[in-house]
Amino acid sequence: MSAKKKILLIDDDKDFLYATKLILEKGGYEVFLAEDGKRGVEMWKSVSPDLAIIDMMMETWGEGFEVLKKIRATDTGKDTPLFMLSAVDLQGPYQSFEPPPEFPKVNKVLLKPVKADDLLGYVSSALGK
Amino acid sequence: MMAHKPLILIIDDEESLRDGCRQALEKSGYAVLTAGEGSEGIKIARESKPEIAFIDLKMPGISGMEIIEILSKDIPDIVLIMITGYATIVSAVEAIQKGAYDYLPKPFSPDQLRAVARRGLDHRNLKIEARRLREEKERMEKSFITFVSHEMRSPLVVIRQYIESLKAIAGDRFDKDVTDIIERCSVRIQSLEGLIEHWLDLSRIEDGTFAQKKETLNLSRIIARSAEEMAPICKEKGISLETSVPEDLPSIVGDEESLARVFINIIGNATKYTPEGGKIMVAARNDEYYVTVNISDTGVGIPHDKLPFIFEPFFRVKGKEEKHRGSGLGLTFCKKIIESHGGEICATSKEGEGTTFVLKFPNQ
Repeated sequence: MSAKKKILLIDDDKDFLYATKLILEKGGYEVFLAEDGKRGVEMWKSVSPDLAIIDMMMETWGEGFEVLKKIRATDTGKDTPLFMLSAVDLQGPYQSFEPPPEFPKVNKVLLKPVKADDLLGYVSSALGK
Repeated sequence: MMAHKPLILIIDDEESLRDGCRQALEKSGYAVLTAGEGSEGIKIARESKPEIAFIDLKMPGISGMEIIEILSKDIPDIVLIMITGYATIVSAVEAIQKGAYDYLPKPFSPDQLRAVARRGLDHRNLKIEARRLREEKERMEKSFITFVSHEMRSPLVVIRQYIESLKAIAGDRFDKDVTDIIERCSVRIQSLEGLIEHWLDLSRIEDGTFAQKKETLNLSRIIARSAEEMAPICKEKGISLETSVPEDLPSIVGDEESLARVFINIIGNATKYTPEGGKIMVAARNDEYYVTVNISDTGVGIPHDKLPFIFEPFFRVKGKEEKHRGSGLGLTFCKKIIESHGGEICATSKEGEGTTFVLKFPNQ
């Protein structure tokens, strides 16, 4: 039996972390939680997860983007799937916020709240399971 | 004694007048700078940014009127007072139009000078204070919107995420009743989120941060798109939905996304109050100045005495079935969006026969 895949969740809302963790654990993953960007990046380096899900709007608009940049800049972060979480629909016509053009690649943007089936579906296809 | 000495600049070619003014004002606790002609006066004003400038209207070189024009643009909040030897209503009005606050006819006594200076300074302080308060109010309104957006929506998002996780980890153990209750919770939370979203949209329209494009567009496309989106609901409810749009409908200027929301909203309302077998008609026409769209239904209608209030936030026509509850902000949103396009919306209705919304947009 192969070891469980590791997923890192970075979000400043403890409840959101816990609720999402329950879903991912139900899906058979080992889940690591970080409550802010700094801890998230440290944990990324120490745990080497197979996938990370990062909230976009933590302390400030954009903290999530900084975290994403830092993770993408690490050796293990170059090709690992990274998901972004957003409480607002970035594809919607009513948001003027756009990431900068030099912005590192995101594999998926998830709109909060995420349906359990959708979340597990996106994660398993990103991990090629 | 004033803690901060207000700075007054006198621009006049008469030396004796400059000195007289200086002495009179310095005695009352003002700091005074003087200039004998216009260009020097402008230079001093730009460098030291006085609170008040007294400017002689008639001087060799740059005229007092020109100085007033330049300083009122260059130095924010400066109070400009014209000194004139032959005060006529015409020159006073012209100076005030160019940005002067007051004028002082020659000859004047030191008391008159001080009174005018005092009044000018009070005016300036009031103006600055009013602006500060207005900015403070705007800042608070903006941060309140941000607060609501984040602090009120986050817990709702988390609750729905918990419901998702509840279903994921224990869903197979729930019987139908439990599943139903959970589903209802989810629906009610979602409608609260929708309410907050609508309310935020209205606040954004009001403070001008609601992003709307100003593109040339044709309502025929928006009507077609909205009708397409509403078609499945109409079909499900057994209501026919028809559109009638002339081929050469003139273009208007506006934002396609927000206008599509307006049409979907109004057609959506019509589907709620139109019984099976009824009809919804979207008909566009135009004249030289306006494109007008009528959206009419054969629904239950709105009582005559309620009609004037339907665009008010949270107004509901009593007696309507509970299942029709929306956010209560839909029509308010529509009205604001249409008004931001320079248009108008109104409604006519007859109980038992139906309602017609008339939307009017200026041609491009």
